Amino acid sequence: MAAEPLLELRNLTTVFPTRRGEVTAVNAVNLRVAPGEILGIVGESGCGKSTILLSILGLVPRPGRIEQGEIFFQGKDLTNLRGRAMRSLRGRAISMIFQDPQSTLNPVFPVGEQIREAMRLHGLLDGGRRPRWLGGRRKEGEKRRVLEVMEEVGIPAPEARYRNYPHEFSGGMQQRALIAIGLVCEPALILADEPTTALDVTIQAQIIEVMRRINRDHGTSIILVTHNLALASEFCHSIAVMYAGRIVERGPVEQVVGDPQHPYTQGLLRCLPRISQRAQRIDPIPGEVPDLASLPPGCAFAPRCPVVEDGCWQAELRLRAVTPGHYARCIKYEAGERYTEEEVG
Amino acid sequence: MQTSAPVETITRRDLWQVRWTLRWRRLAEFFRELAGHPVALAGGILVLLFVLAAIFAPSITVHNPEIGSLRQRLIPPAWVEGGQAEFPLGTDMQGRDLLTRVIYGARISLLVGLLTVTVSVAVGAVLGALAGYYRGWLDTALSRFADLLMAFPFLIFAIAMMAFIGPGFGNLILALTFKGWVEFFRLSRGEIMSEKTREYVEAARALGRSNYAIIAAEILPNIIQSVFVLATLRLGFFIVTEASLSFLGLGIQPPTPAWGSMVSEGRDVMLTAWWVSTLPGVAIVLLVLSLNLFGEGLRDILDPRLKVE
Amino acid sequence: MRAVKTIERVLYALPIMLGVAIVVFIFIRMTPGDPVDIMMGQGGTISAGEIEQLRREFHLDEPISKQLWYFLRDAAQGDLGYSYVKKRPVTELIGTRLPATIELAGGALLIALLVAFPIGIISAVRQNSLIDRLSMSAAFVGISMPGFWLGIVLILVFSVWLRWLPVQGRIGSEIVLERITGFYTIDAVLTRNWTALSSALRHLVLPSVTLAAAVAAIVARVLRSSMLEVLRSDFVQLARAKGAPESVVVVKHALRNALIPTVTVVGLQIGVLLGGNMIIETVFGWPGLGRLVVEAIFNRDFPLIQGAVMVYALTFVLANLVVDILYTYLNPKITL
Repeated sequence: MAAEPLLELRNLTTVFPTRRGEVTAVNAVNLRVAPGEILGIVGESGCGKSTILLSILGLVPRPGRIEQGEIFFQGKDLTNLRGRAMRSLRGRAISMIFQDPQSTLNPVFPVGEQIREAMRLHGLLDGGRRPRWLGGRRKEGEKRRVLEVMEEVGIPAPEARYRNYPHEFSGGMQQRALIAIGLVCEPALILADEPTTALDVTIQAQIIEVMRRINRDHGTSIILVTHNLALASEFCHSIAVMYAGRIVERGPVEQVVGDPQHPYTQGLLRCLPRISQRAQRIDPIPGEVPDLASLPPGCAFAPRCPVVEDGCWQAELRLRAVTPGHYARCIKYEAGERYTEEEVG
Repeated sequence: MQTSAPVETITRRDLWQVRWTLRWRRLAEFFRELAGHPVALAGGILVLLFVLAAIFAPSITVHNPEIGSLRQRLIPPAWVEGGQAEFPLGTDMQGRDLLTRVIYGARISLLVGLLTVTVSVAVGAVLGALAGYYRGWLDTALSRFADLLMAFPFLIFAIAMMAFIGPGFGNLILALTFKGWVEFFRLSRGEIMSEKTREYVEAARALGRSNYAIIAAEILPNIIQSVFVLATLRLGFFIVTEASLSFLGLGIQPPTPAWGSMVSEGRDVMLTAWWVSTLPGVAIVLLVLSLNLFGEGLRDILDPRLKVE
Repeated sequence: MRAVKTIERVLYALPIMLGVAIVVFIFIRMTPGDPVDIMMGQGGTISAGEIEQLRREFHLDEPISKQLWYFLRDAAQGDLGYSYVKKRPVTELIGTRLPATIELAGGALLIALLVAFPIGIISAVRQNSLIDRLSMSAAFVGISMPGFWLGIVLILVFSVWLRWLPVQGRIGSEIVLERITGFYTIDAVLTRNWTALSSALRHLVLPSVTLAAAVAAIVARVLRSSMLEVLRSDFVQLARAKGAPESVVVVKHALRNALIPTVTVVGLQIGVLLGGNMIIETVFGWPGLGRLVVEAIFNRDFPLIQGAVMVYALTFVLANLVVDILYTYLNPKITL
């Protein structure tokens, strides 16, 4: 891992008070993203992976809140930032791509204007934030940049598409427009929340290709949140697997996918259909995602774990190194010989 | 060898029984939910009080609503200086007990409101069901007519109609329903058109039931909830409209006590006896408020997607 | 595209207007009694010869379809008949009263929107706060309150007891104001007659507040609920993720979308304004179209009632036409 991470989450804990008690959506999460790295956060829906992204941007919907932990971005702790300081990062240094492009673009504004707004909010180009009558000539410069970005994300005929409304775009084009919004200010980090879930498979591949190119050409770091382990294993450099608000395994993609250590990761991999092994049947993980409002003590995965032991029901498990850089949160590494590496939470 | 066990057959009566059991259960569930919705419950209880007061008006009050004593003119309400306990809300310029007239006024308001709503629902729901089920020229004609009526503001239409056909109880109901059915028509037409494509209607048709039987037995019970919610909300509106017409002298004629005309009569003595015109108005506000509370509560419980403003 | 939609909308309104005219035409024929008597109203006694002459003048000797045709033709040319009670053409009578009514309705609409918008927005942004609960309770009472009663209560409180505002009329009787447009506030400004302006505004306050109350209540409720819905949507979250300050998020991104359903409701409320207008003008002695109609009803001046109803209905149709056109500009998705 690079010496100076772009983003580092330390012990991040985000909670939502509900009628049935406090729900810990993100539970003491530690993560690092290096410049230019693509990190995948994988897990079933409701495991807290999207909440991590919202926590980074300080957009956890009320009454949810970050209860403890730090979010270091370029050396600054974002949990201390408020108001204008936080806003100047959003969309500028860190931008976000949402899940459902159809409901994420504002239906009443032309797509081009929505891309341009991201730039104008941060006073980029030409006259800065000054209005035109005070000598700000931003409009032309901004528009040129918008067209450039639309071209880059693969929207054909950007000049003509600039004035179109979101409903005149196809789903794939809408997602490209959202990526353009995320890209236009040339951020250091893009947070992508299930960016391809709402799209057709062929379009998915195109969108992933666009993001891969952005990563390569601009060195932009990306956090990809997805439930799709196959997608993550193809696209990401490293992977964190989440279960019930906690990271259960994390490491470089080759190790997590090639040599999974946590039973949950192994289960997720068995769920994937593989064309090469036609005979092997798909093997779903039994049971359901646990209710975050009433988590039992011990390992949250224990009720569904095929190799559960007696100790699993009480143990307060930690993320332990399996090999350098590869960590798992499982009872088999609690006391074993391989317990040597740094403890990360 | 034949099997001895009798073949289980489901008769029409069994089906009937099941259906009614389900309906009773739904009704019981509805009352449970109502009990858990304090706003709707409060509204419902207040409405019930008004209804009871209207029904038992003669046993509640000893005074005559239409004939007063000139010696007892303009006595202020009991809580004001000079008031008498015998006339809790005071008396009007003809010496009639205001409370008595307010209670009898509830009769008129509720009667006009309920009759208007009933006729409007009957006409609107049936025409809407027919239009939505059969479509075609019938639907086109009725819908265009409904559009046309919608081009008139309600009160303007009612005032104009009363102006031309003259005042009176029957004419009042006619004027209110003439436009009042339109909303029920639109609601039931829309609901029928969406219900028509649902599986249970397809199933009934596959069983060979007639169109009429399908509408009456299958579809109408399914849209009745939305109609009921709308009816409760419109009831308040019709009551205000009746009061407005009576206020202008176009509705219920004196000496029959109607809230609207009582407010109007009281204006002449407004400077000296404020209670004569304001207190009957309080009754209107209270009744309409409780009807709206009840209606919106019903909407929350029965049909959250129905939103008519 | 929008121009096409706008024209389509206008064309769609034409048959409705025609239908309105036909309904109004039928109205007067529903009235029991001899048509000549009805047309004359209580305009005085006339001889048998005159009745025959009037019969021809009203085309009563011709078939009803012909009569309808004459009526529509005259109406299209702005001739709404003759008031035998007032001895004036109906169009002229209405024309002199219309500015007062528009001034009142316009004032009411302005007040309603000025009150409803901040309340609707703040109540949605601060959902379940004290201000939300208080204003929504007030709005609920507002929609349950008949205008004539509210008017009387306001007169009692502000005119009779507190003596802050005048009880009746449009302007103080001692004030001389040159008539230019017929709108007293505008005329006062044009002639720089500030005493007249202050008097006209003071007279305008209570009636327009009364008329505005129900409209403001409904608009505030609708705006609040559509704002609540919009504020939960993904594009609002995107706006925040772009770095937009909360004011831009609420006003530009959320409000602009919440306006779409609200505008439709405002259009329907114009009907409430027009209907309430007759009541409020009666309560406040406001010399507008509403009072004219109420007087006409008691004088049995049917041509005048007929003409006024037609004007009301056409105003409503036109108002909804304007709202529909506005709607196409607010909602890019609209396809007719």
